[in-house]
Amino acid sequence: MDEEIRQERHFCVFGVGEREFLIPKESVVQILDITKIFPIPGSPDYIVGALPVRGKIVPAIDLAKVYNIERINYSENKLLVLEVEGDKIGILSDITPFFVSFDKEIVVEDYLDPKKLYEELKVKQPSSNKNNENIL
Amino acid sequence: MIEQAELIKYFLLESEDYVNTLIEGIEELENKGFNYETLEVLYRTTHTLKGSASIVKFNKIASLAHKLEDLFEALIKKEIPDDLSLLNIIRKVVNIIISLINEIVQYNEEKSEIDEKLIALIDEIVNKKTITKVEEVSETYSPLPTINSVRVDLNLIDSILGILSEIIVQKNILIDREKELTNLVEVILQGGKKLFNEIVSFSERYWLTPISDKSRVLDTFFTDFSDLEFDRYDEYHIFTRKISEITNDINEGLSELISFSENLSSNFKTLNKEITNLKDNLLSLRMLPIGRLLSKISEAIKDIANTLGKDISIEIKGGDIKIDKPVLDLLHEPLIHVLRNAIDHGIETPQERLALGKPQKGNIKLNAKKEGKYVVISIADDGRGIDTEKVKQRAIEKGLLNPQQAIQMSKDEILSYIFVPGFSTSEDVDFQSGRGMGLDIVKTVIAKLKGTIEVYSEIHKNTTFIIKIPQSLSITNLLIFMSSSLEFAVPINYIEEILTIDDFPNVKDERVINHKSRVIPVKIFSEIYLSSNGKPLEKGYIIVFNFSGIRKALLVDDILGQEEATIYSLGKFLEGLNQYLGYVISSKGNPRFVIDPVKIFEEDFSFNLPLHLYRENVVYSGRVLIVDDSISVRKSLQALLEAKNLKVYTAKDGLEALSILEEKNVDLIITDLEMPVMHGYEFISRIRKDERFNDLPIVVLTSRGTKKHQEKAIDLGADGFLVKPFDEKTITELLERFNIIENLIF
Repeated sequence: MDEEIRQERHFCVFGVGEREFLIPKESVVQILDITKIFPIPGSPDYIVGALPVRGKIVPAIDLAKVYNIERINYSENKLLVLEVEGDKIGILSDITPFFVSFDKEIVVEDYLDPKKLYEELKVKQPSSNKNNENIL
Repeated sequence: MIEQAELIKYFLLESEDYVNTLIEGIEELENKGFNYETLEVLYRTTHTLKGSASIVKFNKIASLAHKLEDLFEALIKKEIPDDLSLLNIIRKVVNIIISLINEIVQYNEEKSEIDEKLIALIDEIVNKKTITKVEEVSETYSPLPTINSVRVDLNLIDSILGILSEIIVQKNILIDREKELTNLVEVILQGGKKLFNEIVSFSERYWLTPISDKSRVLDTFFTDFSDLEFDRYDEYHIFTRKISEITNDINEGLSELISFSENLSSNFKTLNKEITNLKDNLLSLRMLPIGRLLSKISEAIKDIANTLGKDISIEIKGGDIKIDKPVLDLLHEPLIHVLRNAIDHGIETPQERLALGKPQKGNIKLNAKKEGKYVVISIADDGRGIDTEKVKQRAIEKGLLNPQQAIQMSKDEILSYIFVPGFSTSEDVDFQSGRGMGLDIVKTVIAKLKGTIEVYSEIHKNTTFIIKIPQSLSITNLLIFMSSSLEFAVPINYIEEILTIDDFPNVKDERVINHKSRVIPVKIFSEIYLSSNGKPLEKGYIIVFNFSGIRKALLVDDILGQEEATIYSLGKFLEGLNQYLGYVISSKGNPRFVIDPVKIFEEDFSFNLPLHLYRENVVYSGRVLIVDDSISVRKSLQALLEAKNLKVYTAKDGLEALSILEEKNVDLIITDLEMPVMHGYEFISRIRKDERFNDLPIVVLTSRGTKKHQEKAIDLGADGFLVKPFDEKTITELLERFNIIENLIF
């Protein structure tokens, strides 16, 4: 997931298991406490469910399932809500996400491109089962 | 006539815009000189104004707008010289329009007469193509009426509705909490009563017992008296007295609390009612009269008819019927399509019509009416009709219909083939109306609006299309049901009836029901979605769907009721889950996914279908249950075991595994330790507590290899312990150890 960044300098850091990821600050719209997640039957494994927010739902994605990260325990989660192409998706974070800034020149490790992530994890038609295995 | 008044209101709103555009355009012509772009804008504006005014029968404004339209058209075509003095005439006309609009606001009708001289002047200019005489009057515009309304972006209404639904959720939580409060008050009240009684009886009893020496108050005043000589208050007396006083205070507080909570309840009730009111009002904000759309379309169609050399009149009825704005917008395309079809292929040329003894002018009737929650729009033309014989031939030619079938088909059935993709009765494809590809797309759009389209036709006489759509997209009638402790919804339009499982006790094994002399296949909803935290069904209902005569049934755990709700789309990210139409939010704020019954019964559906449904008939040498929260572990282990001709069940956690054990026979369990919901240790101990599974071998497969982990697992009843990563050899050895694959030998 190393990737050279272009313009972004402000990041949001969140954690999955022992790992930490960075995502551009601009795409973060909200950080929520997870009260209750409603499962979406038939959705791929990495979508743990949906969280109702203001009468709409935000799908909650567990990157641990995507990158096969072992979790020690299921501590209190936060949901990092991203907006990608007008659509909202949530990513589970095991730590309370925080913001950092880096110089433009610095190459950031564990950087996630929200758009790429979105496209990769988007539930595809018609068979969702095959696709999510490709990601693994 | 209230509805007419409403239409006028819309007209006034629109006309304000049009007039402003006209004024701006005229200024621009004056400043920049005559140019095509501005003239085009002015031409279009006058055209629309003419259309809008004629819907509400403001004929004076309509004819003035028409004159201006002619003038602008001539200017665009450069038929008349672009003389700036023309602007004065135009200004004059605009001013008359403004005063007419003012009169409408005041009196609801057009009062003043049109200046015939002015009209004649414009006619002369347009016809003779010269500017004969122009009065030099400088016109200033009179002000437009102020209209008591504002325009609101639909998105804003939607976002208000979004906020409102959050408020509703919070309100429902509050109302639930209020019940908790009432219960709490009740508990405290009971406790208080007990305390009070206890203290009263205690103090009464105590009063009569002699005072012991120890507790005697050492008061020198009393040392001279014997006990019988003076009522003495020792510490207990004082204490009990104090306690009963405090208890009295508490009692008083409690009764205040009760009346407080009662008041609060009635406040909540009022709040509840008002919020519902607010929601209804907000929803009605999105509704617009369909007349605006119909008249806009009919103007456009008349223009097209003109260019095709067909003479038509369009009658609109029921323009005051209100319809949800998004539905209205989506209706535009299909209506245009159908109408284009009517003038392209339905209505004959004036000559043909005269020869056939029909009136020269073709007639199209656009009729809207309300049927319950639906709006029915009929589009009827008196053209040549559709030749069912030709439709039949063509459907056969295209391979859409086989000749034997066709013989038995009714006229209407054959006619419905014009909606089938790839069908066209006209050889030449007109790109604008998209003939042939047209009607199937119309049908698709209508279906998207949860509506239907039908066609009726009498050859040489008429063709009628009937479109039926829900008045509001945002509100759908849903059946709410429960399966595996999750709530779902399904639109009721396909539902024929609901039966209870009691009448069909064998449905779970047979997967069909014999009902009303029909054999109906049944699917079990919780099986379609493997993730059942399922306890076995206690209750059960069979929902019978009717898909145009084909009946299918779905077995669910419980029916929670019927509800009218707004279906939200799942969004682009989840749209691949096409087994859902979207979701609704329950009054508790929980999402309920709305299943698409058509997709559920589509035979090739592929979402999370448990493999065993397909493979049940194969003979396996053994059955293994894998419990692991990591999909990669599950999949790789599953592949490995399946290669050894084993039947494999998988579960994400202990709880899911337990429910599988309830329903399936298993010869071996391989389980992880760290899992959400129910971890491995608990899972193992649960199994060992169940007599049925006393001898069922359990092997732990974990990345935690310490002795402590291992000992605890064995203590709880595990039979084996493997440390990840695993390879084929260790697994094979394991299977042999538990005699799972010895059968493989033969």
